[in-house]
Amino acid sequence: MNLEKVVFGFFIVLAMTLNFGFFLGDIDNPSHHHVYELYAAIIVSLIATVLKFGDRTHLGAILLSTSLAADLQLITAAILWAALEGRMEMQSLTVYIVSLSGGALMANFISVILLIAETISQRR
Amino acid sequence: MNSILFLILRRLRRPIITIIVSFSIAIIGLTVMPGLDDQGKPWHMSIFQAFYVISYTATTIGFGEVPYPYSQAQRLWMTLSIYLTVIPWFYAIGKIITLIQDPSLRKIIISDRFASNVRLLQEPFYILCSYGETACLLAKALDNKGIRVVVIEPIQERLNELELRDTQNIILSLCADAKVPENLIQAGIHHPLCKGVVTLTDSDDVNLSVAIAVKLMNPDLPVLARAERQDIAANMASFGTDLIINPYTLFGDQLAMRVHAIGTYILQEWLTDVPGDTIPPPAFPPIGNWIVCGYGRFGKSVVQNLKQENITTTIIEANPQLTDCEICITGSGTEAITLLEAGVLDAVGIVAGTNNDINNLSIVMTAKELNPKLFVVARKNKRDNEVLFKKFNADITMQISDIIAHECLAHMVSPLLAQFLALTRNLSNQWANALISQLVEKVGEEVPETWGVTINAKNAPAVTELLNKSMHVQLENLTQDPHNRNQRLDVVALMIVRNQNSMLLPDANLRLAVDDCILFCGRPNAKFAMPLVLNNTKRLTFMIDGIEIFDSWIWRWLKQR
Repeated sequence: MNLEKVVFGFFIVLAMTLNFGFFLGDIDNPSHHHVYELYAAIIVSLIATVLKFGDRTHLGAILLSTSLAADLQLITAAILWAALEGRMEMQSLTVYIVSLSGGALMANFISVILLIAETISQRR
Repeated sequence: MNSILFLILRRLRRPIITIIVSFSIAIIGLTVMPGLDDQGKPWHMSIFQAFYVISYTATTIGFGEVPYPYSQAQRLWMTLSIYLTVIPWFYAIGKIITLIQDPSLRKIIISDRFASNVRLLQEPFYILCSYGETACLLAKALDNKGIRVVVIEPIQERLNELELRDTQNIILSLCADAKVPENLIQAGIHHPLCKGVVTLTDSDDVNLSVAIAVKLMNPDLPVLARAERQDIAANMASFGTDLIINPYTLFGDQLAMRVHAIGTYILQEWLTDVPGDTIPPPAFPPIGNWIVCGYGRFGKSVVQNLKQENITTTIIEANPQLTDCEICITGSGTEAITLLEAGVLDAVGIVAGTNNDINNLSIVMTAKELNPKLFVVARKNKRDNEVLFKKFNADITMQISDIIAHECLAHMVSPLLAQFLALTRNLSNQWANALISQLVEKVGEEVPETWGVTINAKNAPAVTELLNKSMHVQLENLTQDPHNRNQRLDVVALMIVRNQNSMLLPDANLRLAVDDCILFCGRPNAKFAMPLVLNNTKRLTFMIDGIEIFDSWIWRWLKQR
């Protein structure tokens, strides 16, 4: 067992699950989507990105790029939230934010699939 | 560049994660702490506000308590946050700075930048595989002639010297060992504009390995290499090294040339020196009995060449067995007894050719004392002793670096020049003297520029166009001043090569043909003026018959009416 692999896998899976938790619920109902969950998703996603730095294999590069895609969408969602809160109807703002986090979820999902694929291809 | 970015990112993983974690804890805590707004109502910071506050706190900018004065709980958390975030922040900054100063990373960055600068070169260039005395001279001359130079040199101090020098173009340099093929690739041996590799280190092994590496990786690239040992030279020749320079043989040849054809010698020196310099009048070695001290590679070459000029030599050698010397006087030559035994009183010249500078100086000083009329040739081995040799002022001081640099230049500036010089060696001294006086009259006493012109669609489009229209273009037309038809440029056509046949000093009325190669020699301004005539059809026709062609069709039509 390799502690590094445990930490790596933990953060990638956690990034996806947190993202999924935030995404779950009615798309236009603000009470279904908590701001702290988005916050946690962003932090964990950022850590997952940094953990992927410096891996020069092809798979490492793809993992990094999916992570960057997820970060981009989650951070955009957070910026929208911070900038437009109180300026527009909360219902439609929630739609924007949740749909962006849905995009990030896809990227995180691919990350996890790649991680699984790599794990399975390991013949030990 | 890519690999560097990943290297930096990998090393920065830990500091960045530390920052993310500490920031996230500080932010989340700040949003949880209860506060009061300006109306005294309970108030919680939003995540965005907390991020803003922590960002300016961690970076020690500190705007204060915004938007409302903090409650006790918030202040408590802020105190904690300061210690929690500022320390990781400085840790990360420190880490980045250490990384930037990391010698191994710097080395990668420097060599990467060097390689990309070489890739971006847009002009023809030569690669010099060292920056010693010889390469230094060569780089100066090439730079003067507007040819770019790329230098690989393992000793950083020499490169510092290079960086401090005033050059027309930036000389790209890398502190690396030329023996490593990777470095040669970075220096651009695969670059389409690379004109050749010059390896002039004083180690034959280095030169050999560079020559082999270049010939293996890019067989078409010319290689100019220095080789002092016969077996190494033969080895280099076996795989097609284009020019192999043995400084000792070269000096022997030059000494012989000085004896029998001083004019030819001056011509050679003059055409291959740095443009703009003047050359001191060379000494003329006398004919009679010579004494040669030291029968090593240098001494052998001198004796052999003097013999060809029917000059008798007496050899003084400290170690006759080691140097295969049959008839010689044993001794170092530094003592008066040995010199007297060799007949210094009747001799006309002495060559101090040992590999020890102090011995050489001692030999020539003792000899000169015994016979003040002696013609003195001294061999200088080390650059540091230059002051001593200058002070002694021998008739000829043999400087390896000078000799090699001249030989290389002849080949690098234009292949035509090397061909021309090879031809002049077979001609009489009178011919050379006549040419020198003609050149001095035209271009002055300063070292002139020499350049080659090929008459083809790429290099001389105007001339080719007229020739293809079956019009006559004479050599004279190219040497007319493009700004004033009746004046001539300060230029002499030295040679013209047509269908592999070379013609020395071609007649001005000679009709040019496509694919002629012409070697010109003249003042720098002539070199810059000539392309006008070569490239501009209108200008060239005006040169030929003094009639302006009109650019517009209407004018031409009116003219015809």
